[in-house]
Amino acid sequence: MKTRTALSLSAVLLLSTVPAYAREPLEDELPPIPAPPVPDPVAFVVPAGLYYVTDTYVADVVATSDATTVYSTTTVHESTGTYARVIDTVDTGASSAFDGMAFNGRGALTNGQALAGTYYENFVLTAGGYVPVSIVFFQDDSETKRLQGLSSSAVAPKATASPAPAVTTAQRRDQVAPPPSIERKVPIEPARPTMRAGISLAPDGPTLASAEVLRGRLVQFWPRVFANDVAVPIRSWRLVSAQPDRISAASGSTQPLAAQWIRMPAPGVRWSLRFEIFSEVAPTERLEAEISVTMRSPALVD
Amino acid sequence: MTHDDGGTAALTTIVMLPLLLVVLVGVLELGALRAVAQRAGAAADLATIVAVGDQDQFELAQSGKLRLAADAADVARDYFARNLLATTPALGASANAIAAAADIASFPTAPSFDPLTGARYDRPTLRLIASIPVRTPGFAALLMPAVTTVTIQSVSSPR
Repeated sequence: MKTRTALSLSAVLLLSTVPAYAREPLEDELPPIPAPPVPDPVAFVVPAGLYYVTDTYVADVVATSDATTVYSTTTVHESTGTYARVIDTVDTGASSAFDGMAFNGRGALTNGQALAGTYYENFVLTAGGYVPVSIVFFQDDSETKRLQGLSSSAVAPKATASPAPAVTTAQRRDQVAPPPSIERKVPIEPARPTMRAGISLAPDGPTLASAEVLRGRLVQFWPRVFANDVAVPIRSWRLVSAQPDRISAASGSTQPLAAQWIRMPAPGVRWSLRFEIFSEVAPTERLEAEISVTMRSPALVD
Repeated sequence: MTHDDGGTAALTTIVMLPLLLVVLVGVLELGALRAVAQRAGAAADLATIVAVGDQDQFELAQSGKLRLAADAADVARDYFARNLLATTPALGASANAIAAAADIASFPTAPSFDPLTGARYDRPTLRLIASIPVRTPGFAALLMPAVTTVTIQSVSSPR
């Protein structure tokens, strides 16, 4: 009798059960993180006459041998990842629209005439195309003093600006013989650009030290590198700090990090994202960037 | 019970019954009014929370700071009307009319000061104040207004 009663009760309980459909509400409702947009490479405009720089400016050189003074430019065989093009070739004493714009200036002969030479415009390649960063003047001139019956200031300038180089920026040095004595000027700008890394929330936005993020909102973090404060392409990045609840990838190249936080931190706690970044301009130079993230969530105010 | 006591009880019942009915109707109507006011308040709360979740993405990219979107007040008004639809039978006006007449103010940057309430907001804030006309037929039966207006307020910000 007891067994029959127990079986009957069990049957009634089993037949009256209803599935609870219990589940983690946020486990499978979140949509997959969409792939962030990739910049269109077709939009690049390549300036005319652009070439990859393999020899970099070091200093202006003034060499004197007997009565002849040679004005030239020294370079070092090194690539900084920049590009250049010839924008003007000037003769001795001739003026140029780029006078005063070169970071190393344009020297003059002893009689005050401006030196002959070539103006080059330097570019860096960014996500938005080739961006001009500086102008450099490669001097290429000489003068010979008249020794008989003339003062030392009287000179006969030799205006011989040779044609522009086709491949490198250091092909004009072979026009003069090695000078016996050389006066070196201090380089005005270092050959290697100053690199800086940062994180922005837009492909072309400013780098930020901190950002407020809404809980559950998908946010894109763009690792960026700047050479002399000009944005340059990213070769690769890697997230080296603690990760958000959902991310598109822990490393990447041209695509940003898409991140999403589901959990709220303890009051007053800030999260930090730290990136390791390598750029195309200096592929071997490891750069670090960090952004502090404060989580917010819409709430009622008392 | 004597014959005289029974007459007294009947008389008392006859006199007190209307008063009891008045009290009962009043209590029931007051409870219903309170329930409708709660639902309208919840509709306003949800509307302001939805609107606060709509942030200005350009400003976020430029400064890293949250700032209410330019259309936050419109979003709140739209959702307030949608949320009120379920309560429409108990309301003395349409949901759209109530939402259109609501005083919704957006304070996109912080700190800010609300000239209407005197409140100071330390974060981007959205404030909604609405007058809700509620049908009160029970009160009408007691010779009171057939529509009672309830004022609700909701304030939201990202915290």
